[in-house]
Amino acid sequence: MTRTEFWQGNTACAEGALAAGCNFFGGYPITPSTEVAEHMAAKLPKKGGVFIQMEDEIASMASIIGASWAGSRAMTATSGPGFSLMMENIGFAAMTETPCVVVNVQRGGPSTGQPTMSAQGDMMQVRFGSHGDYAIIALCPATVQEMFELTVKAFNLADKYRVPVFLMADETVGHMREKILVPDKVERVSRKPFVPGTPPFRTTDPDLVPGFPQFGTGQHVHVTGLTHDERGYPAATNPGLHMALVKRLVDKIENARYEMADYDIINPDAEQVFVAYGGPVRTVQQVLHDSPNNDIGFLRIRTVWPFPENALAEFRNARRFLIPEMNLGQIAREIERHVKVPVKSIPKLGGELHTPAELVAALEAKQ
Amino acid sequence: MSFDDWYRQDRLPHIYCAGCGNGTIINCTLAAIDQMGWKKEETVFVSGIGCSSRAPGYILTDSLHTTHGRALAFATGVKMANRDLHVVVFTGDGDLAAIGGNHFIHACRRNIDITVVCMNNQIYGMTGGQGSPTTPKGCLSSTTPYGCTETPFDLCELATAAGANYVARWTSYHVKELEKAVKVGLETPGFSFIEALVQCPTAFGRRNKFRQVADHVEYLKVHSLLRAKRDRMLEAGEHIPEDMFVVGELTRRNRPAMGVKP
Amino acid sequence: MKLAIDETRCKGCNLCTKVCPYKIFKEGKRPNRKGIVVPELDRPERCTNCRLRNLYGRQLCGVCQLTCPDQAIHWTEEEPYEPHKVAIEY
Repeated sequence: MTRTEFWQGNTACAEGALAAGCNFFGGYPITPSTEVAEHMAAKLPKKGGVFIQMEDEIASMASIIGASWAGSRAMTATSGPGFSLMMENIGFAAMTETPCVVVNVQRGGPSTGQPTMSAQGDMMQVRFGSHGDYAIIALCPATVQEMFELTVKAFNLADKYRVPVFLMADETVGHMREKILVPDKVERVSRKPFVPGTPPFRTTDPDLVPGFPQFGTGQHVHVTGLTHDERGYPAATNPGLHMALVKRLVDKIENARYEMADYDIINPDAEQVFVAYGGPVRTVQQVLHDSPNNDIGFLRIRTVWPFPENALAEFRNARRFLIPEMNLGQIAREIERHVKVPVKSIPKLGGELHTPAELVAALEAKQ
Repeated sequence: MSFDDWYRQDRLPHIYCAGCGNGTIINCTLAAIDQMGWKKEETVFVSGIGCSSRAPGYILTDSLHTTHGRALAFATGVKMANRDLHVVVFTGDGDLAAIGGNHFIHACRRNIDITVVCMNNQIYGMTGGQGSPTTPKGCLSSTTPYGCTETPFDLCELATAAGANYVARWTSYHVKELEKAVKVGLETPGFSFIEALVQCPTAFGRRNKFRQVADHVEYLKVHSLLRAKRDRMLEAGEHIPEDMFVVGELTRRNRPAMGVKP
Repeated sequence: MKLAIDETRCKGCNLCTKVCPYKIFKEGKRPNRKGIVVPELDRPERCTNCRLRNLYGRQLCGVCQLTCPDQAIHWTEEEPYEPHKVAIEY
């Protein structure tokens, strides 16, 4: 059963989290993501969960990692400047394999930039922002419905792969009001149970994800951001161990890229192909809708990281990829790595979506 | 059962230098916890970065060794997510007062039900002896080679002003008193802050005329001024020497606390 | 009870020599295999905890153990005395 609502994107995100069983929210107000925190502040205590407004985004990220180890499904929401502050502890979450969800409703940057305007400038930061090598999962919603669904999915992916998962929305989607179909029940994937007596940071499973030794269950687990051995004990000066650990952290996500890939393919035989995620998806849809010949290809990506490069190969006749993004071509460069045909980036900064006319002009231009 | 049973025996000896006071503080804290009769599975140790923050790695409970200065924010998350857990934070002066200063005052303000043991060695030990926010005026460190010119923090005054329910200070010489103070801190609902001044022979003593570990401990012993005596001196209008520091129970009150086990 | 220093843990800081009220710990004289000068015990049977712990049924004093930063000091249970049969020849 579903019910119909008319919600803002940020509200849909918070409701998605509640439906997914989120019971801890640590946040800090920042435009344009504040509505997520406000909605959680109103709803979580009534559901027996915990809402806490921390002193800054560093502490918000820290609190959700702590809560996750104590057994909560934990989440925070922020935007550009706060996201930069969270980077330190995002690396910690990746190193310690802590499941958690971070919502980044992107706004114009760098620095304080455009608090009330839309952007997609954090797409590389989310992948590479913290120091060292690591891998994460990033999802990009383009509609209010997807704000709900991808938030649910983010929690499930986080618990399945024991990794921080990011919902990389933008201000357009976060503040847009739209019709949404809310299901009564959503799918919930729980964390892999821990086998008592086994080393907490070793796994022989093919998915490379160890069971989760939750605090308070008598496992006496030591969790550290230092390079650690299979028991969790620091072994920072062991080169082989560090290589093996970081390789596993990256491989557990990268190896599962096709399994978790979420994208739509329209007109796979087309010669000109748009690739979009987040807000610009909506403009591309308009261009496709208005196109008389129905000969434009479209790859709509929801899981931007790990990047589903196999989807690009589906466009066998593609002679050119066009990438409209609200940044200076961050994912366009990623796509360039994977295709042999020209890739045309259609950047737009300033906080407004591309207009259909701009995309049509790019489509018709030779270069 | 003694406090020795709380150690991960397979991890000892620990990495601390010979004569480092941190081991003493861990002993006293674990002895207090042992007296509380807590179970290992319901106790969680959290720490940040630094010498002091290596402590949870040697304790046979769930332990979270986090990023620099953020231990209190992590501990807040753990405690609020599961109030049945007893959360104890080990931290140092650089970790707590410098990079974690904001988290510290806000944890005090929230009066969240955790106990913080701060091993104050007045220096950054792990990085090789740089000046910290509690380095006394005139003391030498690798970043204050001509003597520290900044006024140090009084962490206990700070915790009291920010709203902590229990605040005490002792040194690594006063082991029995420290053990009792930690126990009272563990019993008190709300934020308990116990500052333990410790000797750091490698980074602090070496540069500041404490050639022997015992000399530094002797200095801590001689320069500690009991709170009761301080109060008497104040009443009598006597001058309190600059280089003395007050030890004892400094604050004990019952303000509303957060995250207390229902 | 018997007082003992664990040589695998002691780092030779000599703090125990400072805190024991009976001055049982004395600075050692020669380095052990690890090059650490472990303190020596001077008539450890004087230790309060050694003598009276079993009588009182609780830890007594124990300042050296609490102070030892390296968790190297502990007490071990002594073998109970076997009653000997003494034959007295007149």
